[in-house]
Amino acid sequence: MELSNNPSSDSRYAIELRHVTKQFRIRHQGSLKRAILGAFKPKRVELFTALQDVSFAIPHGQTVAVVGKNGSGKSTLLALLARIYRANAGEIILQNQEGKRPKIAPLLELGAGFHLDLSGLENIQFYGSLLGMSQKSLDAKIDSIIEFSELKDKVDTPLRNWNDGAKLRLGFSIAVHTDLDILLVDEVLAVGDEAFRNKCSQRISELQDAGKTIVFITHELGSAERIASRIIWLSQGSVRMDGDTASVLEAYRKASRDGTI
Amino acid sequence: MLNELKEFWRFRDLLRQMLARELKIRYKNSIFGFLWSIVPPLLQVVVYTFLVRGVFSATAKNYSAYALCGLIPWTFFQTAILDSCQSLLANYGVIRKIYLPREIIPFSYVLSNMIHFVLGWAVYFAVFAVILRFFNMGIPLLPSMLWLPVIIVVESLLVTGLSLWMAALNVFYEDIKFLLATLFNLMFFCLPILYPADVVYYSDVVQRHPWIYKLYLLNPITGIITAFRKTILQPESPGSFVVRLQGKPALPMDWPLFGLTSLISLGIAVAGYGYFNYKKWQFVERP
Repeated sequence: MELSNNPSSDSRYAIELRHVTKQFRIRHQGSLKRAILGAFKPKRVELFTALQDVSFAIPHGQTVAVVGKNGSGKSTLLALLARIYRANAGEIILQNQEGKRPKIAPLLELGAGFHLDLSGLENIQFYGSLLGMSQKSLDAKIDSIIEFSELKDKVDTPLRNWNDGAKLRLGFSIAVHTDLDILLVDEVLAVGDEAFRNKCSQRISELQDAGKTIVFITHELGSAERIASRIIWLSQGSVRMDGDTASVLEAYRKASRDGTI
Repeated sequence: MLNELKEFWRFRDLLRQMLARELKIRYKNSIFGFLWSIVPPLLQVVVYTFLVRGVFSATAKNYSAYALCGLIPWTFFQTAILDSCQSLLANYGVIRKIYLPREIIPFSYVLSNMIHFVLGWAVYFAVFAVILRFFNMGIPLLPSMLWLPVIIVVESLLVTGLSLWMAALNVFYEDIKFLLATLFNLMFFCLPILYPADVVYYSDVVQRHPWIYKLYLLNPITGIITAFRKTILQPESPGSFVVRLQGKPALPMDWPLFGLTSLISLGIAVAGYGYFNYKKWQFVERP
């Protein structure tokens, strides 16, 4: 998988996928016993194809929503972009406007790296560096992160005693304060109360205005319509339709009604 | 491999954070905190001293200095490998959601244990080579003690390699951690931790088949513990551990063998790192 600075790549694009296929092996249990017993049997590998020959290119600064029903490959796609998985075939080229390696902030299941025994402040330090922030930029932004998350003095207490909403607010706040080029969002926009959700939307549109590239998965067509300028519709691991928000949504809704989705 | 190292270096801030977090969490909810790193090994030494002196009637002078010389490297070896073995599954939520060079996770556990290891030696020398000498109970300073940093580096290489290796294996076969725990329990008594390797050398079986001793010392952790002991302490006749061996001379430090131990440790470090890199993209696809 090519990570950056491919001479043959087009620097207009933040994200470029060329014939990307991702397969998972289905293994039925992992244990040493099985491995030893299995050594004497012929290997039978079951493969599950999550994405099949997917190609598209997203220019810098575009906001793209990925829609499709469960199991259509949306999460696999996002995980490939976040470099959690490696593709089995094809190329994924990610770059920032200078053609260098971009900073990617994943908003996937917020707070995956939180530790409940540590205070909010300690978690900001850790989660921030997990998302690739340097110590310097963390020091510079820490006040702004706390302010945005509306936690006030609570940041000095361990996360164990926080409610879920507070944890989500902190996670979101850290993620949007990273020096990101590409933001990946996995159905988390619907966090917190109404007021915080508005603040999130506002922050997202600020990022859009600042020319950041955003890819998000959603089941909520309303938010896709509001935020995205382009929609990629995945179906059974392939791109079924890729185009401007209005026309893809129209087709998607029609297929939904007809049950041919 | 060079690219992997570069990538690792790019994430050094994260490594620092993980290490700080590891050290902070370890004693977060305990009342006695850092004392838990100091008191249990001391109690261990008291019990072993009683066992060896009282039950096996060894006459070695300063047995506590002797035993700790084996216990400190052994504890590092064992806890670092067991900790990092669990580390990937303990942090599975993170590696399934966020990109980072995954070797950072087990390596941070190795580093935190390495810090305890080096501190352990610092306390050891402060107590036996400085404080107790005022009471005529310490250990004399020897020029060969200057080898200490070298042996520490060799053991760190060995432990890093094995930790990465076992951590990667344990993602797919969780039997590994049980296997290791069992092995370590047995090894504690088979390796020259509470007694010198010399005792093994003079045993009847080995005297009849000397190659067993070579094989015994080829286990790098045996070679390392023996090297620590033979450079830090004055030679102690095996007779003062096992009465039957009275009059037998102590074996000298075997430098060529230590050279071989170092090479094996380096080899394991490279192999462990290589295996980890070979497997690391499959961790998240574990069934």
